[in-house]
Amino acid sequence: MDFIFNYYFDFKNYVFADGHFNDLMAGFWYTIKLSVISGLLGLAWGLVLAVLRQTRSRVLAPVRWLTIAYIDIFRGIPLLLVLLLVSGVSVFGAPIGGEILPRGLVSPTWLGQPSPFWYGILALAITYGAYMAEVYRAGIEAVPGGQMEAARSLGMSHGQAMRFVIVPQAVRKVIPPLLNDFIALMKDTSLVAFIGLVELTQAGRDVQAETYNGSALVFGAILYLILTIPLARLVDWLIRREQQRTQRGGAPSAGAEPPKLTTPPGAPAGGPV
Amino acid sequence: MSADGSMLRLEDVHKRFGRLEVLRGIDLELPKGEVVCVLGPSGSGKSTLLRCINLLEPPEQGRIILEGQDICGTEAAEDIDYVRRRVGIVFQQFNLFPHKSAVENVSLAQEKVLERSPREAREKGKALLERVGLADKLDEFPDRLSGGQQQRVAIARALAMDPHVMLFDEVTSALDPELVKEVLDVMRELASEGMTMIVVTHELGFAREVAHRVVFMDDGSIVEEGDPGQVLENPREERTKQFLGLVLEH
Repeated sequence: MDFIFNYYFDFKNYVFADGHFNDLMAGFWYTIKLSVISGLLGLAWGLVLAVLRQTRSRVLAPVRWLTIAYIDIFRGIPLLLVLLLVSGVSVFGAPIGGEILPRGLVSPTWLGQPSPFWYGILALAITYGAYMAEVYRAGIEAVPGGQMEAARSLGMSHGQAMRFVIVPQAVRKVIPPLLNDFIALMKDTSLVAFIGLVELTQAGRDVQAETYNGSALVFGAILYLILTIPLARLVDWLIRREQQRTQRGGAPSAGAEPPKLTTPPGAPAGGPV
Repeated sequence: MSADGSMLRLEDVHKRFGRLEVLRGIDLELPKGEVVCVLGPSGSGKSTLLRCINLLEPPEQGRIILEGQDICGTEAAEDIDYVRRRVGIVFQQFNLFPHKSAVENVSLAQEKVLERSPREAREKGKALLERVGLADKLDEFPDRLSGGQQQRVAIARALAMDPHVMLFDEVTSALDPELVKEVLDVMRELASEGMTMIVVTHELGFAREVAHRVVFMDDGSIVEEGDPGQVLENPREERTKQFLGLVLEH
C-alpha cells in the first residue's frame, strides 16, 4: 500500500519542496480570482438575460427572441469550446481580429493579468450567465402572479414592478441554486488551463510532470474542497432554513394559498424558530 | 369629475377569454360617493368586472367612463397609469409584498409612481396604517401579520395612491370568520367618509347595511339591480331568489 501514499500523499517531498508550494498557491490564487470575478459577472449578466427574457411588450419581442437564442446556445455547447472560440488561437499566435482591433482589446493584459485570464473570465461569464439566467427565470416564475398584478394596480410600470417587487423576491428564492452554479463554475475554471493559464489544476499538473508524482494534484484537490465544501454546506443550510420558514406557515401573503393565521393577535413577537 | 356627478359609468362592457364570454354587456352607473355591492355566484364575472375597470383585463367592447373620460381602448402606458392612480383595488389574496414591511408596502408605490419623497411616503403610510388600526405594526413583515391585518395593510396600500374609486374583490373571502369584522369595519368607515366603492362580496349583512345599491350578477350579466332592501329582501328575479336562498341557507 506504500505506493499509494508515495504517489498521492507525499506532500513533504513533492509539495513542500523545491518551490512547488509557491507555484501551487499562485495557481490557486488564479483559481480564486477567476471564480470570483467571472462568478460576479455571470450573476449580473444572468439577471440581465432573465429580465430581458421576461419582457412582455411587443416592441421588445426581438430582444426576447435573441435572449432565448443566446441562452439556448450557450447552455448547449461545452465551456471548453467557448473558451477556445473567445481566445482564438492566441496560445499559438495572433487571436482572431488581431489585425483589425487594437491589441489591448484583442489580447487584454489589464491589471497585469495575462490575456488567457481575461479570455477565461469572458468565457465563464458568457456560459454561466446563460445557466444563471435560467435559474433566475425559475425564481421569477415562482413569484405568484398576484404580485405583478398588485404592483401594476398601484400604477407601477412593468419595469418598476420587476425591479422593486418581482426580482427581489425571485433572487431570494434562487440563492441556493445560484450558489450551486457557483460551485460548478469554480471547478470549471480548471478548463482555462487549456488556453495557457497556470491555474490550480495546471500548477499541479506541472509539478506532476516534473516529479512523476501525483501528490501536488491531490493537494490541489484539497484546496478546491476547502472552497467548495463550505459553500455546499451553506447551500444546504439555506435550503433547510427556507423549508423551516415555509413550514411555519410563513409568507401566506405570497397569495398562492389561502392565508393562515401565523401569529395569534397579541402573541409575543419572535415565536418558535 | 363629469358634470352629471357620475364617477364611473360602464356602457355595454364585454370581455372574452378565448371563446368564453365572461362579461356579456354590463351597464353600470356609479355616482360619486356611492357604494355598490356586487353579489353573484362564482364564475358570474364579478371579479372580471373589477379587473376590467382598472384595466388589468381590458374589455374588448363597450365604454368605461371614469370621471367623464373614456378609458377603454387605452393602450398607452401613461393612460393606463392615469386609470390605476384613480382606481384602487384590493384583492382576495391581499398580495402584499412579502419582502417589505407593512409601512414599506404602503409607501413603495407612493415613491415610485407618485414620486413622493421617502419621508413623505412613510408619513402618509404611517397615517394610513393608523387609520386602519395598525399603528403598532408599521415595521412588521406580512408573514408576521394575521390575514385580517394583512388585508388592512392592503387597503391602506391602495388608499395611499389617493384613489377616487376603490374596488374590493371578495376581500374577506380568504379570512377566518373572526377576522372578517375588522376588515369590514375599515370598509364601513371608508364608505361613511364618502369614498366611492364597488364591493364584490358574499357578506349580505354588509351589503344591507353599507351599500347604496346592490347589483346581482349571473353568467356575465346584471340580473337585478336596486336598493339593498329591495334586492335582498324582495328580489324580483327568480335567479336572485334562488341565489339568496342558497346563501342564506347556511
